[in-house]
Amino acid sequence: MRTPSPTVVTSTCRVVLENDLPDLDPVRRDVVTAFVAERLTVLPGPMRLGVSVVALVVAAIHSVAGDRSLVKLSSISLPIVGEYFRLLRSLSYAYVWETWPDASPSGAVSSIPS
Amino acid sequence: MTTTCDVLVIGSGAGGAPTAALLAEAGLDVIVVEEGSHIEQGAIVPFSLEQMNRQYRGGGVTVALGRPSIAYTEGRCAGGGTEVNSGLYRRPPGEVVERWRQGWRIDDLDPDDVERLAGEVETALSVQLLPGPASEPSRALQRGAERLGWKSDESPRWMTYPDGDPRRGQRQSMTRTYLPRAAAAGARLMYDCRVDRLEFTGDRAVAAHVTRADGSRGSIRFRDVFVCAGAIHTPALLQRSGLRRNIGRTLAVHPTVKLAARFADRVNVPDDVPVHQVKEFAPDLSFGGSASHPGLVALALLDNWRDFKGAVVEWPNIAVYYAAITSEGRGRVVSLPGTTDPLVTYRLTSRDRSLLAQGLERLSMLLLEAGATDVFPSYRDAPRVRDRRSLADVSSTFRASKSSVMTVHLCSTVPMGEDRDRCGASSHGLVHDTVNVRVNDASLLPDAPGVNPQGSVMSVALRNVRHFLTEVRRG
Repeated sequence: MRTPSPTVVTSTCRVVLENDLPDLDPVRRDVVTAFVAERLTVLPGPMRLGVSVVALVVAAIHSVAGDRSLVKLSSISLPIVGEYFRLLRSLSYAYVWETWPDASPSGAVSSIPS
Repeated sequence: MTTTCDVLVIGSGAGGAPTAALLAEAGLDVIVVEEGSHIEQGAIVPFSLEQMNRQYRGGGVTVALGRPSIAYTEGRCAGGGTEVNSGLYRRPPGEVVERWRQGWRIDDLDPDDVERLAGEVETALSVQLLPGPASEPSRALQRGAERLGWKSDESPRWMTYPDGDPRRGQRQSMTRTYLPRAAAAGARLMYDCRVDRLEFTGDRAVAAHVTRADGSRGSIRFRDVFVCAGAIHTPALLQRSGLRRNIGRTLAVHPTVKLAARFADRVNVPDDVPVHQVKEFAPDLSFGGSASHPGLVALALLDNWRDFKGAVVEWPNIAVYYAAITSEGRGRVVSLPGTTDPLVTYRLTSRDRSLLAQGLERLSMLLLEAGATDVFPSYRDAPRVRDRRSLADVSSTFRASKSSVMTVHLCSTVPMGEDRDRCGASSHGLVHDTVNVRVNDASLLPDAPGVNPQGSVMSVALRNVRHFLTEVRRG
């Protein structure tokens, strides 16, 4: 079964995190997006296929319409597409606050990035 | 690689491990095949992302599609779900066993016998209450219930407490109990090995085709096989092997919705779950506590992040709770060509949706009574609940389709019984239209029992394997 392209996922995830957690250090943001992309590769087959298709559609919209449109799309409660963004956010937020429990709501972390 | 044995047991969780132990102790040559790895208890922080990555199927991201979709988790490691779940234990309720016996025409399912088997499980797993006070999130449940006059109790756990400290329990999962028994009796345990399909000659299964983690393939020839891969992968394997009659059509779960509750003082226990449960509205509705490490608190706040995100920094004062329902809905497990992962779907009924709304409202009320200063329900655009007046906002704005519904209790995909219009297996787990393929896990339970199902799964597994051994001795 097809696996979502890491590049497609990380570029979308990066834009979402830049908007949601603007103070998250870029190094940490890269760590988070890499985690999300890696985790999507181990999804069960049918789910992986579905996520791959949605990820490609979202990436296509992103490439044509730009970052602001992607952020707007990510805030709308659309069926399927909305669930894709929720999946990205679930994995990202769980990772951020499990790894850096002192992170602020905007993603700022007082300690030095590791 | 071709190996032979008397009995192949597929899966090493709550169904497979006791099955393997009893078969091996009876002198049979047993092989246990487990798709996941063997990981020592204590090697991974409980409920962490690393645990999800290494011990859960699909990294813990598995979903039954529907409106709403229901997130579920399955253990995928030596010991199966018993290595990663909360360790809470409930006996199979007698009235539920009786309902199963009558409704699905299950022979020899005597509630008193099941009670005795549950006692045997409890001894083997050292099921007991905490030796000291429960954690603060647990006491909050108890306190809220007391103030409302609602029934609550402490769920026993299959844990030992060597130094008497309730915070240092050692879970008596399958890798600590039945799997070592199986190995001591001569069973061969093969981890990191997936069964792709069963091969048949007529109505008799003769071999399992397997793939190891390194990609090498082989087969295991056997006289009898017990499929104990859980309520999702047992029906998927049977379907891939050509068995479809009443297989995978009646998935039952306990759907749950969650909320985060903030208290004035520190309550968060990152690596454990509350032991108290509120049973005032059982079996329709039950309330309990979830794991609450900071990542999971962030997840509980996610559905209305815009309004709730400020609370995330106060995670030490926050605990996550759930409302679980007994569902009238049903789901399906459908194997697909080209993948060993099936498609899973689930449909909630309108009664289920209504119960979830009631559950979230009542759980919010209970936690306010317990002293919570703020309650953050997990659904899109949920209101922050600070007092009883705002409870009405929960019932008026909640929609199941906007909520993060999840479950950890999956069952009923190969229901047992003599009603061949409804059941995929006989009263003792023999798959219909086969002579030697048996199921012995949560798939057999005719519906979700309304309590933590592990005790029911293990009691039924012991019953069925003893019945099999009686048949073997008779020749």
